[in-house]
Amino acid sequence: MTKNTNYIKRLIFSVLAVALMSVPGAALAQSMPDAIKKDMLETGKKVYFKRCVWCHGVEGGGDGPSADRLFTRPRNFIQGTFKIRVTDSGELPMETDLIKTVKNGLQGSAMPAWGEFLSENEIVSVVQFVKSLVQDREWDDEDEEVNVQDFGTNPWGTTGPYHLGVPQADIDAGKEVFLKNKCFECHGGEGRGDGNPTMKDDWGFPIVAADWTQCWNFRGARRDPFNPFNVVRTITTGLNGTPMPNFKDQITVEDRWKIAAFVNSLCPRKNIDPLTNKPIPDFLIQSVYTEGQVSPMIDDPSWQSPDTDSRIVPFSDEIKDNPKRHYIAMAGQITRGKRNFDPKTDDLWVTSRWSAEDNAVYYLVEYHQRFMSQDPEYPDAVAMQWPAKLQDLFGAEKPYFIMGDSKKPVDIWKANFMAQDYNATNAPKPEGYKLKTSVEEFVGLGFDAVSTKESESKVQVVDSIYKQGRVKIMFKRNLKTDGEFDVQIPTEQFIPVSFLQWSGRDKEKDEHMAISTWYYTILKPALPASLYYMPPIMAVVFVCFQGWLIWMTKRTRKMYDEGKIKRDELPK
Amino acid sequence: MNKGLISFLVFVVGLAVFHNAIFPIFTPKEIGWVLNRYVYFLLFVAYVIITNLILRLKPPIAMTALFVWGLGFYFYKFVLYPPIPWTLFITYMVMWSIGTFLFISQDPETFREFRKPIVKTIVGEYKFAQIIVMIAMPILVGFATYNTIYPSYQEPVELRTVHPAPPATTKVHGKTYPLESTNNPFRIDEQDNYKDSFPFLDADKHEYMKYVTEGGTIFFQNCHYCHGDQLNGLGMFSHVFNPTPANFIDPGTIAMLQEAFLFWRVSKGGPGLPNESTPWSSAMPPWEEHLNTEEIWKVILFEYWYTGWHPRTFGTEGAEG
Ligand code: HEC
Ligand code: HEC
Ligand code: HEC
Repeated sequence: MTKNTNYIKRLIFSVLAVALMSVPGAALAQSMPDAIKKDMLETGKKVYFKRCVWCHGVEGGGDGPSADRLFTRPRNFIQGTFKIRVTDSGELPMETDLIKTVKNGLQGSAMPAWGEFLSENEIVSVVQFVKSLVQDREWDDEDEEVNVQDFGTNPWGTTGPYHLGVPQADIDAGKEVFLKNKCFECHGGEGRGDGNPTMKDDWGFPIVAADWTQCWNFRGARRDPFNPFNVVRTITTGLNGTPMPNFKDQITVEDRWKIAAFVNSLCPRKNIDPLTNKPIPDFLIQSVYTEGQVSPMIDDPSWQSPDTDSRIVPFSDEIKDNPKRHYIAMAGQITRGKRNFDPKTDDLWVTSRWSAEDNAVYYLVEYHQRFMSQDPEYPDAVAMQWPAKLQDLFGAEKPYFIMGDSKKPVDIWKANFMAQDYNATNAPKPEGYKLKTSVEEFVGLGFDAVSTKESESKVQVVDSIYKQGRVKIMFKRNLKTDGEFDVQIPTEQFIPVSFLQWSGRDKEKDEHMAISTWYYTILKPALPASLYYMPPIMAVVFVCFQGWLIWMTKRTRKMYDEGKIKRDELPK
Repeated sequence: MNKGLISFLVFVVGLAVFHNAIFPIFTPKEIGWVLNRYVYFLLFVAYVIITNLILRLKPPIAMTALFVWGLGFYFYKFVLYPPIPWTLFITYMVMWSIGTFLFISQDPETFREFRKPIVKTIVGEYKFAQIIVMIAMPILVGFATYNTIYPSYQEPVELRTVHPAPPATTKVHGKTYPLESTNNPFRIDEQDNYKDSFPFLDADKHEYMKYVTEGGTIFFQNCHYCHGDQLNGLGMFSHVFNPTPANFIDPGTIAMLQEAFLFWRVSKGGPGLPNESTPWSSAMPPWEEHLNTEEIWKVILFEYWYTGWHPRTFGTEGAEG
């Protein structure tokens, strides 16, 4: 009897489930949140107070000692608000969501991945403890329900790490969905997060929309940044506690995958370091030799190349000889003087050409900046830093990377700029903003001993623009100059170079800036002419050698056969 | 079917299966005594020998030589870990080729047998092979020449001394400390007694935990950006810097250093390093500029408590542990 009712119950349930699944956008399954496993709290507390308390605070209020110097701040657990979930907006997360978060960390924030650091048991336990810190909601409350959403499945069956191979038509369709749903109001016209400067999260702290072109910084990247599922999950469930809403009623599941493909197509494919979850920097900036003059126009075809690594997606034929864009990792300068814990730029992209006829080298420096300064007292700025006395350096020796030292000066080329007719709250402007630029050259003998050069300025900014959240500045300088502290740029030699960046809106100046470590650049020579005639010559020489070998071998054979010489005898 | 051909297939197909299906099994994240790449290689060698013996294939000597040479190539190129530099690889392969040659030419009979297919190819008795070889070789030579001439650049490799010899004394905030005999003033008890104590919660109960809590607070306000929230050198800014920030979990850093050495390193940072340690690119701040002496000692105390390592002590001096 009981067996029977059970069976009927199950039948009804599965029919219901199927019915629910077939309604687009409907929840897959409704249930209560996972209750706290009380027996694990003891272990969980131990882990929490050793590992997590420093950020999340003694009572889970997100107010640990680190909190005031972190952006975004550590999560306040008290309200039970969690961003990365498979449940509906506003609902508590599933336990598996929290476990995945703790295992994979939240990329782009200080929250690290604990998966390799803690044991499975410790992770599950600390998640129980985190749940117990939620004060405003009850995990076993009758009224709390969780609805696991339906995400469909990857229609193209793309695979990691890069998830390439989505048909262009679907990406274009995704772009339509993007326009229709006005994601650009927050995420900007090309997805660089430059849409809305005034957003706040539920705790009243300022928040900016994600930069889609840096998907390795998505909180929900789950250490698999190119996977479109992450985006589908985000737009299906929204991010609780942030302005990022869900779109499950506006966008069908199929279209969510298409917009996810579009969002992902904007993120350049780079080799991601599995330890840091960031792209591996391109430590050698290769300046390409240019026949005749270099075009000083950013839009010139000779400067076009994608951010995506050419080893992952080869360049198309028109641009195959163009210089690559090199990824330069940036961080806040937190070593000396006034420290910058909150840099606005994560990375720069650098492209370079040089020309012997021009006697000049060009560096196109690009970076993403959501909002530009509107205060002329604090313009935006980016600089290239060189050893001023390259010729005096021995071996690997370099000046100190933060604006030189007393013995080894640096030569700093700094471009200051303000966007014209710009207002951070403007709607996206596809043609971009012209920049009013000025160049300053400095000699650095230490971060607190930087002075303007006495010799006249020889560095030029030949072209620049701020377009859809991306700053582009093209530097030009002659290879050789006569200033005492000007770097003299040799060809075919490794030259140390590094980058500095100031965000005007954040009132950054002097050593309060973002910085890179030392990179190298090299002015590559023209391809040697021998490249075109030597290979055929060598092949022909080899053909002759083969002919000779055949002839010799045949002759020896013949001599054997005619008995002119004797074959070596084998021992009996 | 031709036995030589079967033997060749056994080798090639076997290699493909081993490399794609079995190699991953033998290279898990945690390397074991059985599950490691060298055991895998031995297994493959055993597979080649045993199948050839069981099927009585007796491959011709030239093919055996090819197998031997190929095994060496496979080993140096794909199995040996960490990968060796290109120049070393060439050196090893030259040695291996000489070895293979010695194996063939051990007596005139094997040597003649080895030469036979080659000579037959050259004079055209194996017509098909002759055509392929005679066309492929010059093309390969052309490509090789192109590759050698094509200019390619790789950033220079730089070596640095990670743990330079410390100075005899260091002056921090106006006071001179002899490194030989300076101890952490906050190491007031045996660290292991506090393994299971809670920072913050036990800070009022135990003085030691008070210092650990204060040290941790300093760490999480200043150091975690580089050295990581897990003290593993993987902080949110760590990928930017080269050299990368020290990993304190690793047995090669604080576990083998004296606290006084750390005191010097933390106080003077990158700029305090001698030239062989590339002071110009070390992002490590000279903390005397931001922290007072007590704070520096406390953060050092915290680093040991968190990682569970014990500082190296000088002889009998200093606290054990
Ligand atoms: C260095 C500081 C730091 C440490 C240590 C840290 N976290 Fe976090 N954690 C953060 C930050 C910052 C966020 C918020 C990121 C955001 O909202 O963008 C966060 C968010 C979270 C979230 C919310 C996830 C979501 O979906 O919204 C959970 C859960 C969490 N942390 C658990 C832990 C646990 C468990 C530990 C210890 C094992 C821990 N954290 C240690 C900084 C830290
Ligand atoms: C009202 C403003 C707003 C709109 C409209 C909006 N977003 Fe967002 N979105 C945000 C904010 C704010 C964040 C960052 C949240 C954070 O950092 O925690 C975000 C984050 C994201 C992320 C990154 C999630 C992660 O894992 O970190 C994705 C992907 C995303 N949005 C996609 C979209 C798409 C697609 C649309 C349009 C269908 C859209 N957003 C519309 C505000 C918005
Ligand atoms: C801006 C990044 C940065 C910050 C912040 C930073 N460090 Fe470092 N630290 C480094 C780097 C890089 C190294 C390794 C290179 C070197 O040897 O100088 C290092 C090395 C060290 C070492 C030497 C380890 C060894 O094996 O020799 C100690 C100890 C240390 N740091 C402690 C600290 C402490 C304590 C703090 C906080 C008060 C801190 N660091 C903050 C970057 C940083």
